[in-house]
Amino acid sequence: MDPQPRIGVYICHCGVNIAATVDVKAVAEFAATLPGVTVARDYLYMCSDPGQRLIQEDIKAHNLNRVVVASCSPRMHEPTFRGAGEQAGLNPYLVEMANIREQCAWVHSDRGLATDKAKWLVASVVAKAARLEPLEAREVGVTPEALVIGGGVAGMTAALDIAEAGFPVYLVERSDHLGGRVADLNRIFPTLERVADLLGPLTERVQSHPNITVLLNTEVTQVEGYVGNFEVTVRGVEEPLGVGALVIATGYDVFNPRRKPELGYGQYPNVITSLEMEHRLAAAEESGPEVLAVNGRLPKKVAFIQCVGSRDVQLGHPYCSRVCCMYTAKQSRLVRELLPEAEVTVFYMDVRTFAKGAEEFYDEARKKRVLYRRGMVSEIYRRGERVILAGEDTLLGRPFDFEADLVVLAVGMEPRADAAELSSLLKLPRSSDGFFLEIHPKMRPVDTAVDGVFLAGCCQGPKDIPDTIAQAKAAASSALIPLLRGTVPAESATAVVDVEMCAGCGMCVEVCPYGAADLDALWNVSRINPVLCKGCGACAATCPSKAIRLQHFTPDQVLAQVDALLG
Amino acid sequence: MKTEPITEQLELFGCIQCGKCTGGCPLARKTELNIRSMIYNMLVEPELDVHAHPELWDCTTCFTCVVRCPKDVRPAELIISLRGQLVESGRIPETIGTALMGIFRQGNPNGMAREDRSAWAQGMEIKDARQGCSVLYHVGCIPSYDLRVQPVARALARALTEAGVDFGTLGTDENCCGNEVRRMGEEGLFEMLVEENGELIRSVGADRLVTTSPHCFNTFKNEYGFDDIEVLHYTQLVAELIEQGRLKFTKEVKAKVTYHDPCFLGKQNGVFEEPRAIIKAIPGVELVEMDRNRERSLCCEGGGGRMWVEGTNKEERLAFQRVHEAADTGAEILAVACPFCLLTLVDAVKVQGLEERLKVMDIMEIVNLAL
Amino acid sequence: MAEKFEPKIVAFLCNWCTYTGADLAGTSRIQYPPNVRIIRLMCSGSVDPTYVLKPLLDGVDGVLVGGCHPGDCHYQSGNYKARRRIIALKEIIKNAGFDEERVWLRWISASEGQRFAETVTKMTEFLREKGPNPMRQKWAV
Repeated sequence: MDPQPRIGVYICHCGVNIAATVDVKAVAEFAATLPGVTVARDYLYMCSDPGQRLIQEDIKAHNLNRVVVASCSPRMHEPTFRGAGEQAGLNPYLVEMANIREQCAWVHSDRGLATDKAKWLVASVVAKAARLEPLEAREVGVTPEALVIGGGVAGMTAALDIAEAGFPVYLVERSDHLGGRVADLNRIFPTLERVADLLGPLTERVQSHPNITVLLNTEVTQVEGYVGNFEVTVRGVEEPLGVGALVIATGYDVFNPRRKPELGYGQYPNVITSLEMEHRLAAAEESGPEVLAVNGRLPKKVAFIQCVGSRDVQLGHPYCSRVCCMYTAKQSRLVRELLPEAEVTVFYMDVRTFAKGAEEFYDEARKKRVLYRRGMVSEIYRRGERVILAGEDTLLGRPFDFEADLVVLAVGMEPRADAAELSSLLKLPRSSDGFFLEIHPKMRPVDTAVDGVFLAGCCQGPKDIPDTIAQAKAAASSALIPLLRGTVPAESATAVVDVEMCAGCGMCVEVCPYGAADLDALWNVSRINPVLCKGCGACAATCPSKAIRLQHFTPDQVLAQVDALLG
Repeated sequence: MKTEPITEQLELFGCIQCGKCTGGCPLARKTELNIRSMIYNMLVEPELDVHAHPELWDCTTCFTCVVRCPKDVRPAELIISLRGQLVESGRIPETIGTALMGIFRQGNPNGMAREDRSAWAQGMEIKDARQGCSVLYHVGCIPSYDLRVQPVARALARALTEAGVDFGTLGTDENCCGNEVRRMGEEGLFEMLVEENGELIRSVGADRLVTTSPHCFNTFKNEYGFDDIEVLHYTQLVAELIEQGRLKFTKEVKAKVTYHDPCFLGKQNGVFEEPRAIIKAIPGVELVEMDRNRERSLCCEGGGGRMWVEGTNKEERLAFQRVHEAADTGAEILAVACPFCLLTLVDAVKVQGLEERLKVMDIMEIVNLAL
Repeated sequence: MAEKFEPKIVAFLCNWCTYTGADLAGTSRIQYPPNVRIIRLMCSGSVDPTYVLKPLLDGVDGVLVGGCHPGDCHYQSGNYKARRRIIALKEIIKNAGFDEERVWLRWISASEGQRFAETVTKMTEFLREKGPNPMRQKWAV
């Protein structure tokens, strides 16, 4: 059935990303000698428009029937090159990629060895390409509804945008109220507005929106299905909810400073967290500064300690929590206003003010005589009614024993304790710090490895409110894509049965997780329903008579890859 | 001395100059020692005159800086490394040289004769571990020779015997563990000790190795690579024996006791609860805590070779401050679990005139009173 | 033996976890020996016994199968199937007189780039110690 393979091979320099380590010219020359290869070239950026055009022109000029692109991971650009092939009239499944960047150039430094490896990787994929078969692209319908997990600012914002676009949304919230962590705050930087004035109207809009079903005191217990057609089981809701897309907005946990016992939190009444300070500041606005008293006295010296639980490799929290510098600037300013007599000192290692208006706000704090001292506090112990902060002023190069009445620990964020549960429910990978993993930290910060599942807010990593809202709106617009299109591409690389060889043992029926395989009652042979099949290949690997093949990953293709690797 | 090789080797580039190391350093407050600034110098200067820093010998290797560092830089290792340069050059304080020579020749820092090493056990029947035993007891240099500390080893041997523990020692073949040797910068001698001791200890075939000193415990546990031998400090073993009901108290010790966490046991190896469990189990004893306890325990200034070198500030001793903190709790006994802490604090109580109010005892000595 | 022996390893990695983990090792620039050649599959549960046996018979020094951690399989249970199959396969390999230690099954998630690099490094060192697959010589004779 196959005409003679006429393969075009394209080796990408990826600027210097590949070319610095791999001799791309040598790889292209080698590729030209491989069986079935008609043309082999190298180019600076294959994914660029001229790079793609190069492939398309070759397809026409050389009548190519297979294309191999050796560049980055197929997880990055497979859709790009399949699309380019398709535009030139080539079935997209006849385009294959060799990963010589992530799995070669970036992980090896010896140019000779890396070039050698790249050659064999290309040879392997060329061998597979020669045996590729065209597959039919298929589409399936989409359930035009969405589900958002988490009723904080991120979840509410995403739900509202999807609802405003005209689609029904379920908003699943574990607690008995909307608002999330932001509801715990008093005022926000840099405007010093009251949180209640901002959160109230947002919550009100969500609760009254006809397209939004708010499910409080509920949690997701099971997720089945795929992009376009998820079935989500929610505790407390009888029927599973059918939705086309999911937004994860589960937020974060606040770092518990008891994990740093040297700071004396929980031991001395003088030491409190920034969140507790937030509550006290709110109370002080209502009933006067007396609520800030410690041991019955208004504090004369107030200290803030930055980065508690953040930027700390030993705690497994290597990241910056991104909000503490600014909320400390805010709280320290408020303390200066409430207690004009008090000395306010902030101990820090770096001050990070990247949000809009943040540096200006920090300037104001210093001008209001909040004193910033560079140097971290190493431990806190008691002296009478006060506490001693032992640390070093790194600018003076001298240790200090700083006496204070009230110490505020600027606690950071950490992944929710239950993030692992949700991660395994959704098969959603997490990064090494425990937050949910986006597909690419720069280019695709909202998408996840699971199609149709998008991230919003601090469940992906610490961020402030504007960044959270921006990401929530991005997640909503991504979730709307399948809902608006009405269809999503279905897996084409499904399993197929050779009925001549099938003995009707039924092992495929047992191993298929999707109920896609069953036995034909009349002929007692296996049948695989291509609509249900997700292409995992469990049946093919199990079939004792080798009657089932997983298309696009057939034993013929895979073993050809192995053979080619051996050289 | 060129700075780059050490900077590379210790990965000092990870330092963000936050100051938690110097900020928590108990010596930085009384001497010129500033490890944060020393790291910065290493990073920005191509050369360092290591002889211009006598304060390098002030460090007790309490490792507070290592425990506190948010970037895992291990600042104290720089001091150890720089001491190594000094040792190599031969220009080191005379008393340090004497201690190292004593260990090289006689297997102990005080240069006492090897054949006297088991004198602490005179009159006791203690098995040679090589006859086969499940627990090998490494007595350690100070408990073997020092008259004030010998009773601690005797008390432990008695307790193990009463609890029916099958234990033995290496007698006069026991050798210095090398913990302080490494921390004084004599890497070569340390490696030799690890090799010799490692071979001897493995040949015994015991499942467990128990030490009197947290210093021996630390190096055996973390630096010897004993994969098949469980290394224990005696407080861990004794707490276990009490818990299992194998060690029973018959007498009461009516006393208020406070406990000083040794750096090498607490901060460095996280053993905080077992010593307290023992103290609380002794009938009649009331345990009161000092404000600075566990992770914030104040170093007694006896580690890292400081038993054999005065340092640049002889007047203000941390041990002086510590015994006052202990006395302020109202305790009659300051309990310790380390031979170095025992000696430094006993001395401090005398110098500070607190002898009427406070007695320093090893936990094992209190246990002994109650058996 | 003039030249130092360098083992050849063929790795079958599932698309969702280990292959992505290997990509992360790349984006994080974590270095590991170039002895491994990766073949991408959709699921470790689709690793056919012949995928493991053929390379070993052909003289490959080691076969690495990488899948998602238990409970994390994109296809619900493919990794458990892989585990059962590899255990049985190792038994067969051993009974047939081959060295089953040349076959490694490891769970490496999409976020474990470091673990992927460490696994490859360890396996390479392990096989360097072990020496070449005797089947190489068989063909050379």
